[in-house]
Amino acid sequence: MATLEIKDLHVEVEDEEKQTKREILTGVNLSMKTGEIHAIMGPNGTGKSTLSQTIMGQPAYHVTKGDILLNGESIIKMPVDERARKGLFLGMQYPAEIQGVTNAEFLRAAMNARRPQDNQISVMAFLKELDKNLELLDMSQEMTERYLNEGFSGGEKKRNEILQLLMIKPSFALLDEIDSGLDIDALKVVSKGVNSLRGDDFGSLIITHYQRLLNYIVPDVVHVMMGGRIVKTGDADLAQKLEDEGYAGLRDELGLDVNLVDED
Amino acid sequence: MTEAVQNYETLKTDVASAAKAHNEPQWLVDHRVAAIDDLVDLGFPNMQRFQYSDWTLTPTDEPLEFKDSDKSLADSVPFADDRIQFVQAGQTTVAVNLPDDLKQQGVILTDLFTALHDHAELVEKYLFREIKLGEDRLTSYHAAYLNSGLFLYVPKGVVIDKPIEAYLIQDSTRKQPMVSHVLIVADNDSKFSYIQHMATVGDVANAASAAVEMVAKPNSEVHFSSLDELGENTTSYLKRRANIGDNATVDWAIGLMNDGKTVGDFDSELIGKSSKADSKVIAVTSGEQREGINNRVTNHGKRSTGFILQRGVLLKKSELVFNGIGDIIHGASGANAEQENRVLMMSNEAHGDANPILLIDENDVLAGHAASVGQVDQEQMYYLMSRGIARPTAQRMVIRGFLSAVIGAVPLPEVRQQMIDILERKLEDGQQLE
Repeated sequence: MATLEIKDLHVEVEDEEKQTKREILTGVNLSMKTGEIHAIMGPNGTGKSTLSQTIMGQPAYHVTKGDILLNGESIIKMPVDERARKGLFLGMQYPAEIQGVTNAEFLRAAMNARRPQDNQISVMAFLKELDKNLELLDMSQEMTERYLNEGFSGGEKKRNEILQLLMIKPSFALLDEIDSGLDIDALKVVSKGVNSLRGDDFGSLIITHYQRLLNYIVPDVVHVMMGGRIVKTGDADLAQKLEDEGYAGLRDELGLDVNLVDED
Repeated sequence: MTEAVQNYETLKTDVASAAKAHNEPQWLVDHRVAAIDDLVDLGFPNMQRFQYSDWTLTPTDEPLEFKDSDKSLADSVPFADDRIQFVQAGQTTVAVNLPDDLKQQGVILTDLFTALHDHAELVEKYLFREIKLGEDRLTSYHAAYLNSGLFLYVPKGVVIDKPIEAYLIQDSTRKQPMVSHVLIVADNDSKFSYIQHMATVGDVANAASAAVEMVAKPNSEVHFSSLDELGENTTSYLKRRANIGDNATVDWAIGLMNDGKTVGDFDSELIGKSSKADSKVIAVTSGEQREGINNRVTNHGKRSTGFILQRGVLLKKSELVFNGIGDIIHGASGANAEQENRVLMMSNEAHGDANPILLIDENDVLAGHAASVGQVDQEQMYYLMSRGIARPTAQRMVIRGFLSAVIGAVPLPEVRQQMIDILERKLEDGQQLE
């Protein structure tokens, strides 16, 4: 069993153009272990993506206070690639496009990166695993020979994130708005992929605006974030309640002084 | 001064007698001699923000000589019967493979000096008509001391589906400059790809003066690609020029992977109406290597279109200067000239420059440029590393993507892979000492 703990996490983001810093996370506490699916919901601009990017180690986000522990070990000073090799995966909202490197080559490099030099995956084993996952995600072989994310549609990029997830099999998958821009069929496919990993060795932290995704990937725990911290934690019913009542309702119920970005 | 002139008179006599002993036609002997006169008067071609006047690119102290090289220098060439290939080691043509059906259609692929005899009229009509007398010291030296090369002629309407491969191996097992001239004539409505791989065998310090002179006649289409892999001890001058006729298209995909000092001067002359040129160059420099490139597209013809794309990666203490020159001549109405020049700095000690130069003497045109000198894209790095890929590997992947415009345009998978392998080797070597 693996664990991921976030303790009183404060995070600033740097705006390079304006040369300013802004605090986005104002004390996040969260603890999860493999075997669990957690969802984080919350209004726009509340720090959900910042949380996932900070856990992964995006260099623009600076931890000013608190800690992130993976299996009891602090990771906040670790480079991104090391965090990944220790079991973290971030399914990104806006995956980068990289010309000249095929999807298949990239997948193999990512899988081999976490294996010892003398035990790299064989071509046969790789292709077998790849075919299995392509079928599960209803993706064509041709996708793997294309350059990484280059010219992919929004939906194809999201599917490709899940393909990577299935190939890499991390302990914890942070999925940042993996549902945005997906039609209902694609949403079902993506959910099927994530659900196929469910089990004792896999945990996921799913960030979403909408409850819809959670109909397909039913979470064990739902957290609501507002104003840079988690303000309420509950079970799957909490997501349904939010869908019905909106974030403003919860804010007022909790008596929070938080501006909702989309509120005029 | 008198002594210098006398020296040049001696050079002329020596070159003329060597050329005559080589059974060259009188017009070529005269051309060589006239070129030596130009050598006296002309300077190196101007290359903005790049200083190379002290390089040994015109070693007139080494006489014009014709000597055979050991054919085994070409042992690494993947020679195959079902391919269209030309292999030259030093001045020795090792192999030519041109299928019979192409021969019957009138395609010529042969050693340049053989062509001077077997196809005398054709060669006289085209040789040194685009790369002329009176240009600069480097082209003059090239014409005077020419000692190897090939002639490719594709007749009217002939379309060749397999790439034509040329392997030009510099023999640096001995002291002698490589002065190689590739003459390519694409007659009306012809279409083909030509791929050239230049490499060096041996460690002797030598100059190389390697030219490609191309005529693309109306409605022809030529896809040129090159893997230039000259050795560390070779100081090279690469001259490539195409005259592009009405509705003709020439694409250049040039992969500059030389290890030594290099100056490149590339010209696409869009002479014809609605002619097109797409001139792509990638370069990787390392060590204390210095490399300067002029990539010029000149729009003469109405509605002609020229694109320049240059991408370079600098390692260690190297220097790389890309000048993109878009020149629109008065009268070229409806012309389009676009260019993009970018260099990636992988070391604080490297010196890189990307200069767009637009010279426009016509109102009714489209022109644009982009240039940058920068670092590896951090978002791409983050993405790759978030999958566990270590920084050096991720960097090499991002760089390969940055250079993929040329790598992807190479028509042979095998040469493409060679280019990637050379790139990986250079990058790994450059990264280790960071």
